[in-house]
Amino acid sequence: MALDPIIYPLGERGLVLDPTPSSPINVGLQRKLCWVAEQLRSSKTILDVVPGMNNLTLFVAQPDQLKVIQQQLETLWRNAKQHQFHAREITIPVTYGGQFGPDLDNVAKYHQLTTNEVIALHCQAQYQVYFIGFQPGFAYLEGLVAKLHTPRHSQPRLEVAAGSVGIGGEQTGIYPSQSPGGWQIIGRTDSQLFNHTSAAPCLLQPGDIVTFEPTRDTPS
Amino acid sequence: MIEVTHIIGHVTIQDMGRSGVAHLGVSSGGALDKHALMLANRLVANPDNTTALELSSGEIQLSFDNDTWVALCGAEYDAKIAKRPLWNGWRAKVNKGEQLTIRGPKKGMLGYLAVAGGIDGERVLNGYGTDLRAQFGGHHGRHLQTGDKLVQMKASPPSFSRPVGAVQRANDGILRALPGPELALFSEPSRKAFWHSSWQISPQRDRMGVRLSGATLTSQTEVNLRSHGVMPGVIQVPPSGEPIVLLADAQTTGGYPRIASVIEADLWKLAQTRTGVPIRFTHVSPSQAEDANYEWQQYFYRLSRAMDAS
Repeated sequence: MALDPIIYPLGERGLVLDPTPSSPINVGLQRKLCWVAEQLRSSKTILDVVPGMNNLTLFVAQPDQLKVIQQQLETLWRNAKQHQFHAREITIPVTYGGQFGPDLDNVAKYHQLTTNEVIALHCQAQYQVYFIGFQPGFAYLEGLVAKLHTPRHSQPRLEVAAGSVGIGGEQTGIYPSQSPGGWQIIGRTDSQLFNHTSAAPCLLQPGDIVTFEPTRDTPS
Repeated sequence: MIEVTHIIGHVTIQDMGRSGVAHLGVSSGGALDKHALMLANRLVANPDNTTALELSSGEIQLSFDNDTWVALCGAEYDAKIAKRPLWNGWRAKVNKGEQLTIRGPKKGMLGYLAVAGGIDGERVLNGYGTDLRAQFGGHHGRHLQTGDKLVQMKASPPSFSRPVGAVQRANDGILRALPGPELALFSEPSRKAFWHSSWQISPQRDRMGVRLSGATLTSQTEVNLRSHGVMPGVIQVPPSGEPIVLLADAQTTGGYPRIASVIEADLWKLAQTRTGVPIRFTHVSPSQAEDANYEWQQYFYRLSRAMDAS
C-alpha cells in the first residue's frame, strides 16, 4: 500500500478515497472511481456514495461500520476497473448572448475575441461529465479550452436563471435551477437539467459527452 | 384535515432527511434539529421518520377538523389549544374544531409540531422534506401559507389518554467536533483560535449553513482543493477565513478546506442557537462521538420507559 493514506475519514460516518490529490485531473481515474461507486451503491450499510473531482466520499449508515467499510473500500480500489460508461452523447442547444447571455460580450472582450469566436470555441469542444454535485442536476464538465478560462464575477449575481450556461474559471456548466451565482453567463438552454418527478432525475450522468450547439435565436 | 388559518414566518414540512440521492446533487435536508423532531414524534407515538412542521420565528394558527394529539418540541413557544396552554416538550389533545395557536419562540430558534399519524406531503427522492431551493417535497416544495389545507395521515388509535411531557436537553453552546482532513494545513494560531476561542453565529445563516464570526482562520500554505463530497456538520473555511458549518440543506459537494466536523449528537445546538450568541468547539475522538450518540439513545430509552409507565 502507498505510504500516504489515500482513504481517510470525514466526520463520524464519512470515508474519502482520494488517490492522487496532487496529480493533474484525469478521466481514467474518474472512470475507476465511478466503478467503485457503482459497486458500493448496492450495499445496504452505505447511505450515500458521492463521486467528486477525482475523488469519492461515502457515508455509512452506522458509524461503527466505518472500519469494515474502509477495508472493503481498500479491496475494491485495488481491484478497480475503469467503468464502462454507456458514453451517451448529449447535445445542449444554447441561445448565446443578448438577454440570455449578459456576460458574452465581457468574455469576448477579456480574451480579445469576437462573440462569434467565443461561441465557436465553446461549441467545438466535447465536454466530459465528471460528476454531479453542488445542486440537483449540476454537472461538473471537463474540457473547456484554455482560451475561454475566465475569472468569476467578484460579486456574485443574486439570481441566475435556470438553464443559464456559464464559465467560471476553468469550468463551464449549466445552472439547473434559479440560484445565486458568480459565473460569467454566456447563454441559456431550454433543456431541463433536473426533473424530480422522473425516475432518472438528472439529464446528465457521469461519463456523458456533452456538446453545445447554438440555437437559431442566437444573434449573429 | 388541518387548515392553516393564519401564518407569519417560515414553516415547512420536514422529516429525518433523504439518503441515497447525494450523487444527484440532492441535499439530505430534513429537520435542522432532528432530535427535537424525534422527540415530538415519539410523544404522539409516531415512527421517528414521520413528517412534522418545522417552525421558525413568527406565528401560526391551525384549525383541526377531528380529534387528535399533537406535541410541540424544540424551541420554547407560547402555544395554546383553544384557551389551554400547550407546554413546550409536551403532548396534548386537540378536539375537533379547536384552534392551535403558536407564537414565538422566546428561547431557541426552531420548533417541531408533530401530529398523530403525521402530515401528508409530496414524497420525492426517498423523502418528504421540503427542499426550498429545488422547490420539491413537503407542501408543494414551499413554505406554508395562510389557507393551506394539510392532510393528516391516518394514525392508529392512541394507546395513551393523558398529556405527558419530556425534559428537553439543554443547549450549552459547546459543540463537540472531530478534526477535519485539512486541520493540519491551518496555521497554529488559527488552529488554537478554532478550538479555544468563542464564535458567534453571524446573520448569514439559513437551512444550508451558518457562517461564524470571530477569529480569521488562515492556512499555512495556499490550499487548492478539488471538489469533494460534504455533509451536514462539516465546517468549511472559505478564503475569507470565517468558518461555515454546513446544515441539512447544504450542497452535496464543496471545495473549501474542511477544518472539522460537528458531531451529529451536537449539531442541533447550532440550529437552535440565536444569532450573536457565542458558541465554542471542543475537540473529540471518534469514540467520544460514539459515546455522545449513546447519550441520545439513553435519553430516548428513558423517555420511552417513562411514557410506558405514565
